[in-house]
Amino acid sequence: GLQISAGFQELTLADRGGRRRDFYDLGVNTRQTIEHVQESKIGSSGARIKLTANYFRLTSRPQWALYQYHVAYNPEMEARRLRSALLFQHEELIGKTHAFDGSVLFLPKKLGNKVTEVFSRTRNGEDVKITITLTNELPPTSPTCLQFYNIIFRRILKMLNLQQIGRNYYNPSDPINIPSHRMMVWPGFTSSILQYEESIMLCTDVSHKVLRSETVLDFMYSLYYQVEEQRFRDTCAKELIGSIVLTKYNNRTYRVDDIDWDSNPQHTFRKADGSEISYVEYYRRQYNQEITDLNQPALISQSRRRGGNMQGPVVLIPELCFLTGLTEKMRSDFNMMKDLAVHTRVPPEQRQHEIGKLINYIQKDDNVQKELRDWGLSFDSNLLSFTGRVVQSEKIFQSGNAFDYNPEFADWSKETRGAPLICAKPLDNWLLIYTRRNYDIANTLLQNLFKVTPSMGIRMNKATMIEVDDRTEAYLKVLQQSITPDTNIAVCILSSSRKDKYDAIKKFLCTDCPIPSQCVLARTLSKPQAVMAIATKIALQMNCKMGGELWSVEIPLKQVMIVGIDCYHDTVSGKQSVAGFVASLNQTMTRWFSRCAIQSRGQELVDGLKVCLQTALRDWFKWNKYLPSRIVVYRDGVGDGQLNTLVNYEVPQFLDCLKSVGKDYNPRLTVIVVKKRVNTRFFTQSGRGLKNPPPGTIVDVEVTRPEWYDFFIVSQAVRNGCVTPTHYNVIYDTSKLKPDHVQRLTYKLCHMYYNWPGVVRVPAPCQYAHKLAFLVGQSIRREPSLLLSDKLYYL
Amino acid sequence: MDKNFQEEQLTGVSKFTPPLYQQRYQFIKDLVEKYKPQKVADLGCADCTLLWMLKFCSCIEVLAGLDICASIMKEKIHRLSPLPVDYLQPAERSLTVTLHHGSVADKDPCMLGFDLVTCIELIEHLQESELKKFPEVVFGFMAPKRVVISTPNSEFNPLLPGGVLFRHPDHKFEWDRAQFQSWALETARRYGYSVEFTGVGHPPTGMENVGFCTQIGVFVRKNPQASTSAQSENPPEAVYKTVFKAVYPSLKDEKHLQNAVISEVIFRAQMIKQSLLGRLMSEHEDYNDDPTERSSNFQPSMNWCSEDLEKLVMEKSTESFVDGSVVYIPLTTIFSFPKVNQLCGTLEKLCKLIAGKVTLSSDGSAVMLNVEHEEN
Repeated sequence: GLQISAGFQELTLADRGGRRRDFYDLGVNTRQTIEHVQESKIGSSGARIKLTANYFRLTSRPQWALYQYHVAYNPEMEARRLRSALLFQHEELIGKTHAFDGSVLFLPKKLGNKVTEVFSRTRNGEDVKITITLTNELPPTSPTCLQFYNIIFRRILKMLNLQQIGRNYYNPSDPINIPSHRMMVWPGFTSSILQYEESIMLCTDVSHKVLRSETVLDFMYSLYYQVEEQRFRDTCAKELIGSIVLTKYNNRTYRVDDIDWDSNPQHTFRKADGSEISYVEYYRRQYNQEITDLNQPALISQSRRRGGNMQGPVVLIPELCFLTGLTEKMRSDFNMMKDLAVHTRVPPEQRQHEIGKLINYIQKDDNVQKELRDWGLSFDSNLLSFTGRVVQSEKIFQSGNAFDYNPEFADWSKETRGAPLICAKPLDNWLLIYTRRNYDIANTLLQNLFKVTPSMGIRMNKATMIEVDDRTEAYLKVLQQSITPDTNIAVCILSSSRKDKYDAIKKFLCTDCPIPSQCVLARTLSKPQAVMAIATKIALQMNCKMGGELWSVEIPLKQVMIVGIDCYHDTVSGKQSVAGFVASLNQTMTRWFSRCAIQSRGQELVDGLKVCLQTALRDWFKWNKYLPSRIVVYRDGVGDGQLNTLVNYEVPQFLDCLKSVGKDYNPRLTVIVVKKRVNTRFFTQSGRGLKNPPPGTIVDVEVTRPEWYDFFIVSQAVRNGCVTPTHYNVIYDTSKLKPDHVQRLTYKLCHMYYNWPGVVRVPAPCQYAHKLAFLVGQSIRREPSLLLSDKLYYL
Repeated sequence: MDKNFQEEQLTGVSKFTPPLYQQRYQFIKDLVEKYKPQKVADLGCADCTLLWMLKFCSCIEVLAGLDICASIMKEKIHRLSPLPVDYLQPAERSLTVTLHHGSVADKDPCMLGFDLVTCIELIEHLQESELKKFPEVVFGFMAPKRVVISTPNSEFNPLLPGGVLFRHPDHKFEWDRAQFQSWALETARRYGYSVEFTGVGHPPTGMENVGFCTQIGVFVRKNPQASTSAQSENPPEAVYKTVFKAVYPSLKDEKHLQNAVISEVIFRAQMIKQSLLGRLMSEHEDYNDDPTERSSNFQPSMNWCSEDLEKLVMEKSTESFVDGSVVYIPLTTIFSFPKVNQLCGTLEKLCKLIAGKVTLSSDGSAVMLNVEHEEN
């Protein structure tokens, strides 16, 4: 048993490009532990809607099975190729279709006997006895078979001349060029074959790979001319660390983990045979690659493959590496993202067309068809179709008014404009800090706030206006001098989006001198026609930061505390992860407790989360004079393949923590894993074409997994491209709540994010937790003062 | 099959540094560097390691492999496919890699016209009947400019541990120097080649008389003109099966050249535009209150592409001008960038390649770019 599966892993390894992690969280069966969903996990409310999804059924011949054999040689043959050659001298017995890794043989047919002995002769006349023993008869749904399908499918994609980059496959022959940014976008596909609710299916989606037609060295050169010298190294690190590079000489991708400025291509390294050679010499000899800049630093990539023969860090030469993907800086370039979105935001109709093309290739290519036929497999040629539900849209309540809005847009900014807020915090005593250049802008903001706040119910005095020099220290000094215990909020107008200034102000006002703060870029207020709308947004945001409340939806569940968790992983200064933890404090879910856990290397994030949960419960008790009888945790920021850790480690820690609160305290706990990055797409018919399903669409059939209590919700509306449904996986649940109620509660919570007057793609506490973790991870880098924990100061 | 592995077992890894098989491949690479053949074939290419090494040699435009065992060839076949980077920056040269399944005892027209044919540790695997046909196929029919044949030198065998008859169980024979040289000289004589002998794997000191561990014959055709007479009269039927073919993207292909030129033109134009609009300058201004010490000693070397970006861009931008919300950048300016110049050769060619793909002024002499306002 063991040895064989190890052998198969090798096969997997080779075909997958060396990755061994279980990206699909196979074998984590959480549904079996949740009693009340054994029979059904399907919800009931809402109107039926016909949907299609980017899934294709994999069909196999009736009574199909994969036969697994162990192959032994006597005398023992060492070389794998020799073993193969000897075995396949018996092709008439084995057949043309097989997968063999040197010891494990997979066949689509069963041999006559359980144990077959054959004799082969090496070319110099040595006789070898080969014993082929049946070890397993695998049904189509066995995990090994699923792995096997994925391997076969990857072979097929290679046959179609698609290039593997990372986990996906791309078509290099028809790229989209974006010359102004030296970018090239390759269209391609993601694919995975898994056991879904009713059948084994291929899920495939359009994917785009952004490649850059410049080397890392080119990139460093142009950066060198754009920033001044003393910032050069930092900027390089910021832009490059964490990015994925391709090399000129092999088909691997590497993640840049560090830049070694003390190294250069003339440095030497020790080869496997023990000899010393310089990088210049090595690349010249091995790959005929001339390194021209002998002063460039080296890129360091920590090898991520375990057990392979590539141990330790890999040293890369910038001149021989090409960048892929987008850097932070590119992402913040509005024009470029606009250019890119034209190509990558594929609307439903076109998406279906592109996916259809792949299936078409597969059906038309003779070699591919033969491979599939030989294994007795085939794919449906149509997208999977089934029925979903659209739940009723929620009414928005704001100070006694109930607002309806167009559910298709999932946005109520127009409807609620000018309506009084649930809880308006006064601006009695506040600071407005600006540079001389922005004096007019500061006044414009002030005047417009005076215009928009009365209808909201916000009482406002004139701000204490303070002019400062445009230097970080000047801002900090003024803040230090002017903030009193009565200050409601400090508003800073910044003249550029320089991150260090922003970071310093935020750090100071979140830790040393904890009060709410609002930073506004001068540019944002420079367009006269938009100033009113922007002042409105700023007023709402400031109100939330001071502990105000904007709107609510009806939440029938009582005594429930909702928790949202999301993580921020620092890729640059590395090593530090931040988890944002946000928990509701009141029945209407309009007030939240926020805290974060900072994890340094070697520490477990969950230890910090336990502390967060304890303080959240304490605060809840202070607010409500009792403890919640139910706790629902929405856990975002869980990577592919990490589900097992969550189930086996994090959930028990939560339970432990609850136990420690009190002997008689035994709340019902629900833990739901939230996943935004999924390849699933839903389409719905619109006339003769396809469109996105409307907000409120829930899917809990067909494309869910039988071993999980999971569902999809499309909560948000998108203007262009395809909407990405959010996947919810209830991994622990003692609530006894019906699936329908859990789904409805989840959807309701997507209406409660105060920075956006509309429905967002995750429950509000997750979005808050994300915001918090991002601010702390990016700017503050230590725990903000707990004095702020009952306010949404990080919005 | 698996000869490298077997040999290492026998000779011990420590015996030769670098390993003997690498020395053989390096020998071929050095030869390729020296004579710059355009078309190279490797007979008995096994897992295509030599072909993979050779694909990086920029002189080679056609690379072919032949082996009797298709499954071994396919094992690491992906190494012969173009890399993503080959698409990102198509090479100047063209390159086609083809793998054929077949025997060196059979003639196939796809093997005609090569500059170099290599047979590394091949002949000792041939059956007697195959070995007999081999000279006629390689020297008589294929008739490349150069042939390299390597084979074990049996005189060296007593120095190897293990005391087996042959170095690999599949070897049909192993020759001493006299045997190999007489076979080679006879073959060379018959087909109009000259031959020189050398080898890799030096014997230990004091034992020099046994010769190299691997003996090598380098054959050069005496008549430098291809002897097409024998071949063209009666070309044989194709008998090899093509198992792999990869055409690398190259600038020789109009489509790739056009893409490369358009990319370069637009990128340069954008740079000039930005410089013209003073954006680079104002950014410098924005960042100058940082009091930290200058600490970088990474100096991009200016000789790298003979383009001092900053200077060049500044210089160039003076020839361009803004009119209303449009920036005009003369094509002559863009053409003066070394990379563009190198890609196109002439200004006419540049105009032809970007026609219809880049927005030009009405007289076609300048690239037009809109001045968009930065949004955020």
